[in-house]
Amino acid sequence: MRIVVCIKEVLDPDAVNNYALAGRLEIGEDGKSLTQTTIPQLMNGFDEQAIEAALRIRDAGVECTLCVVSVGADPSVPLRHAAALGADEVATIAPPSPEPDSHTVAQLLAGYIRSLGGADLVLCGRQASDDDQGVVPALVGELLDMPVVAIARAVEQPASGTLRVTRVTPDGDEIVETSTPALVTISNELGDPRYPTAASKLKARRVQPKALTAEELALEADALAPRVALTRQFVPTVQGNCEFITGDSPAELADRLVARLREDKLLA
Amino acid sequence: MTTNAVVVCTWSDARGDVLEETEAALTLARRTSTALGTDFTWLVVGPLPAEAVDIAQRQGVASLEHIEDPKAAAGQADGFVEGLTQYCAERTPKLLLFSQGFDVRLVAPRLAGRLGAGIVMNAVDIEASDDGALNVTASAYGGDTRRVYALAGTGPALVSLLANAVLPERVDGAPSPTVAPVAVDLASVEERVRVIEAARTEGPRLEDAEIIVAGGRGLASPDNYKLVEQLAEALGGLPGASRPLVDEGWVDSSRQVGLTGKITRPGLYLAAGISGASQHMAGCAAAKSIAAINTDPDAAIFRYARYGVVGDCLEILPELIRAAKQGS
Repeated sequence: MRIVVCIKEVLDPDAVNNYALAGRLEIGEDGKSLTQTTIPQLMNGFDEQAIEAALRIRDAGVECTLCVVSVGADPSVPLRHAAALGADEVATIAPPSPEPDSHTVAQLLAGYIRSLGGADLVLCGRQASDDDQGVVPALVGELLDMPVVAIARAVEQPASGTLRVTRVTPDGDEIVETSTPALVTISNELGDPRYPTAASKLKARRVQPKALTAEELALEADALAPRVALTRQFVPTVQGNCEFITGDSPAELADRLVARLREDKLLA
Repeated sequence: MTTNAVVVCTWSDARGDVLEETEAALTLARRTSTALGTDFTWLVVGPLPAEAVDIAQRQGVASLEHIEDPKAAAGQADGFVEGLTQYCAERTPKLLLFSQGFDVRLVAPRLAGRLGAGIVMNAVDIEASDDGALNVTASAYGGDTRRVYALAGTGPALVSLLANAVLPERVDGAPSPTVAPVAVDLASVEERVRVIEAARTEGPRLEDAEIIVAGGRGLASPDNYKLVEQLAEALGGLPGASRPLVDEGWVDSSRQVGLTGKITRPGLYLAAGISGASQHMAGCAAAKSIAAINTDPDAAIFRYARYGVVGDCLEILPELIRAAKQGS
């Protein structure tokens, strides 16, 4: 089967969070971008897990061709990581504008998948940790007329042409089946992604991602027109108003906290 | 029949949803339709809740519509997307507003794909002007930033409102809404995704809990999570967890509070050993009161907390269990 995994390079969300917690997250003069140039770029964590989901299908003995694709200025670092993990093809598509919206990105990804002659399974992270939108996978599914299974922790192929997917719902796990071709989005509950071996990392250093453009994918300008434009980004303020409970021992702290919560009718 | 309306779309069998969120979406939609000078419709997919007409009236809804066809239920994405596509073709709404529950995360983006419509998820506010411009503020970076998006184009815009983002406000003296069924033809729809094993509902939901005791990395080892469970039990609440504990496999994902987990709104949220990353706070910031225990006096959680205890939760939790059991 051919598996395509769509990945995105993002600013390290933990580093962004550390800046935010320290009150040092700042927006640049354009009113949109984060100015902290020391924040590293890395592969979106859910996307890493989407690659892991593909590798687990391969581990289960299913013969797979694995293609990993990204839309972005220069996502060659995460794509080389994907190559080191065992991707047979890595490809990058240049966006027509620096800030493509979800529709534009989805058109480019769908165009790439069509150019391969389709895919049996498309895997995506459930959302990107920069914009948190989680929209692109469903748009790609619609463009390719594939069923979409969202927020999965496990993907298996019990029989050729059939996918069995475990979804993480608020009520617990739900197991669904669908026919290929299909698109599945992967959630953090899938578990830790593997690391490539040193030897495969070394070998992947020479990999040049296939570089594609919208024209090469035969996409019309109309189809690529954005519907949504980012106009501004800001850091929300949090009002601190904490009353610190003091005491000389854990027992005293606990007694005073419970007494205070009872006084304010938050505990019976 | 109206066109160009602001339409709130809800359903009653939603998973992970809270009924108050419907009123929050209706409040935001009313403000938006007033600013745009357009009509305000509430579309219910599935049977109308018993209290729908009352809610609609106190939220100033002009028109209450419902799609009865069981094939349109949101748990069945193909039928839902086709049903809503037909609805939009006939009504050409200006804006479809959803309240962001679990199923919305899939069906709203799929509908946007089918319609070629602009979509913004995780919205916390909408600003509309009478020239028809819509600017949507949404949470990004797990809550560390807000992004403002302009929705362009003439087709319907889709917006999914994050839980707890808007305080519901009622209006007095609004007339009773018109109530009308909407017919859709879903005869040819066959669901492509089949449920083999349904999720089992495991007792009370975190979303409905009045008291939540949540543990984080500060618990240091999986065994210590039982302290969180014991304190929750002693207080008559439910245990929750931050995402690292779920990722490490210490607790089941149904316990996860945060942007990618449960969005809760308890009266008291007691956070033990949780640093207060925005991703987590997105799931509990709407608690009436947060009490936090953390060894680091500068931990972000204390900026959100009403009550703070600086100390090791492994020492304080057993004492809290004792104090809670002693009664008032």
